[in-house]
Amino acid sequence: MTHSTFLTTKRAVPSAARAAALIGALALAQWMPAGAQEGHPLKGSWLGTWKSNDTHGENVLLVLDWNGESVTGVINPGTDNIRISEATLDPDRWVVRIEADAEDRSGRTLRYVIEGRIENLELANRSIVGTWENGRGGGAFEASRQ
Amino acid sequence: MMPEPRARGRGRPRRDTVSNVCRGVVAALAVTLAASAASAHHAVSAKFDEGRKASFDGIVTGVDWRNPHVHVFVNVEVEPGEVENWAVELESAALLEKSGWRRESLRPGDAIAVEGLAARDGTRQIWAQSLVLSATGRDVLHVRDTAPIAPIAPRPTPRWPDGTPMLGSPDTRDGYWGYPTETALVEDGVAVAMRPDGLLEDIGDAAKVAPLQPWALGLYVHRQSRGLQDDPIFLNCKPPGGVRHFQSPLGVQLIEDRDAQRVFVLMGSGNRNYRIIYLDGRAQVGQVGGDDDNPLYYGRSVGKWEGDTLVVDTIGFNEDFWFTEGGLPHTDLLQLTERFSRPDFDTLRYEVTIDDRGAYTRPWTASWELRWVGGEDLPVHFCQDNRS
Repeated sequence: MTHSTFLTTKRAVPSAARAAALIGALALAQWMPAGAQEGHPLKGSWLGTWKSNDTHGENVLLVLDWNGESVTGVINPGTDNIRISEATLDPDRWVVRIEADAEDRSGRTLRYVIEGRIENLELANRSIVGTWENGRGGGAFEASRQ
Repeated sequence: MMPEPRARGRGRPRRDTVSNVCRGVVAALAVTLAASAASAHHAVSAKFDEGRKASFDGIVTGVDWRNPHVHVFVNVEVEPGEVENWAVELESAALLEKSGWRRESLRPGDAIAVEGLAARDGTRQIWAQSLVLSATGRDVLHVRDTAPIAPIAPRPTPRWPDGTPMLGSPDTRDGYWGYPTETALVEDGVAVAMRPDGLLEDIGDAAKVAPLQPWALGLYVHRQSRGLQDDPIFLNCKPPGGVRHFQSPLGVQLIEDRDAQRVFVLMGSGNRNYRIIYLDGRAQVGQVGGDDDNPLYYGRSVGKWEGDTLVVDTIGFNEDFWFTEGGLPHTDLLQLTERFSRPDFDTLRYEVTIDDRGAYTRPWTASWELRWVGGEDLPVHFCQDNRS
């Protein structure tokens, strides 16, 4: 599936429906214990908020994977489908940096940069706490592994 | 007459009342207990603070004789008229029974003196390093289990009629492999000071243990620095997957089904789990229909004999557990190549190559030996027995 197909799909779904889907996922996640994950600390699904994000809503879902060489993944799969172009982890300080290109409603490219620290590394429902910015705005970022 | 319980003070060192001789005995006992720590459900340091000694006298109110840890409950008079009930944690019932102790070795009403390590969380729990009956001065419920003495002249390797070495008991009766010479993974040829439970004496040695990727080294150091308290085998009774069942003093039993061309690996640790090694040349898909969507704690194992060595290839591990004592990380890219050989009747040589490009920079190998324990069945050990 191409990036443009993702965008077509995105525009076909009303914003309210997308928001409802994410909120629903968020609500459901409250009742689901985080699955054990003793491998790479970033691998898994992360659900949380990027505050004050007027373009893609305040709720955010990251699905991250580790292929042995790099962290890959997507932000808001099924709704915004923002592919992560680069993700790094500094294991000395457990600082995460994620970069991803998205488009706003007018088709203008936005480069998201999320930077945060992994907290409670030893827990299955560890968190990434930090900030996000996309050149147009920014704010607090927090997501917990599901 | 029952001795009057006398509080020695919670967590207060009792060194002023212990002679040098007694301290020596306690130290020796502590070494004995530490040597068996790898068999414990959890590393002692995971739950108890090795820097905080505690001691008290009290009256036994109950004995919970179960795995993974026996607990003795003791009433301690901390102030005149004020009694606290403490939980004294010991090794598993399985190991204590192998050491000759029984649940009746200590009875409610017995007066005892306890020395040990205080719980990290400040609760009324103590890991017993010494438990002495006040009435007799007898030290009780310590682990004194040792490997069977090897014959002066090695007994020959038992073989099947076709000459293939047997991995189990030649008369198909009791017997298992235990007393591993290594209880935590370290790359062959590397010398680091490490406790039996896998805790490094010097955290600065972490990078020497195995060729870890940076993230895996960071995670290993994190787990080590927390005293291994996050071990899922402790927190969630996860199975001893990967190579871990071959590092447990509770042993493994290898049952060869020659007709079905498979080897069953029965485990004394964990929850009497088992693992199957298929020798029938099947594809590495495990269950009927395959289990690609169901990664496993023991992976999917296929093997073949190369001369006198059984070579086993295993893939398909999940990431829900620690695959060795000490907290070395792995990923679902882990592939194990195990080599089993029996150079004489009483020795099982185990060599494993760890190939996990998700966590390590190159494949690496570790090896150790296990000792034949004849005439005994696997110890009974269920982690969930007293999880509370």
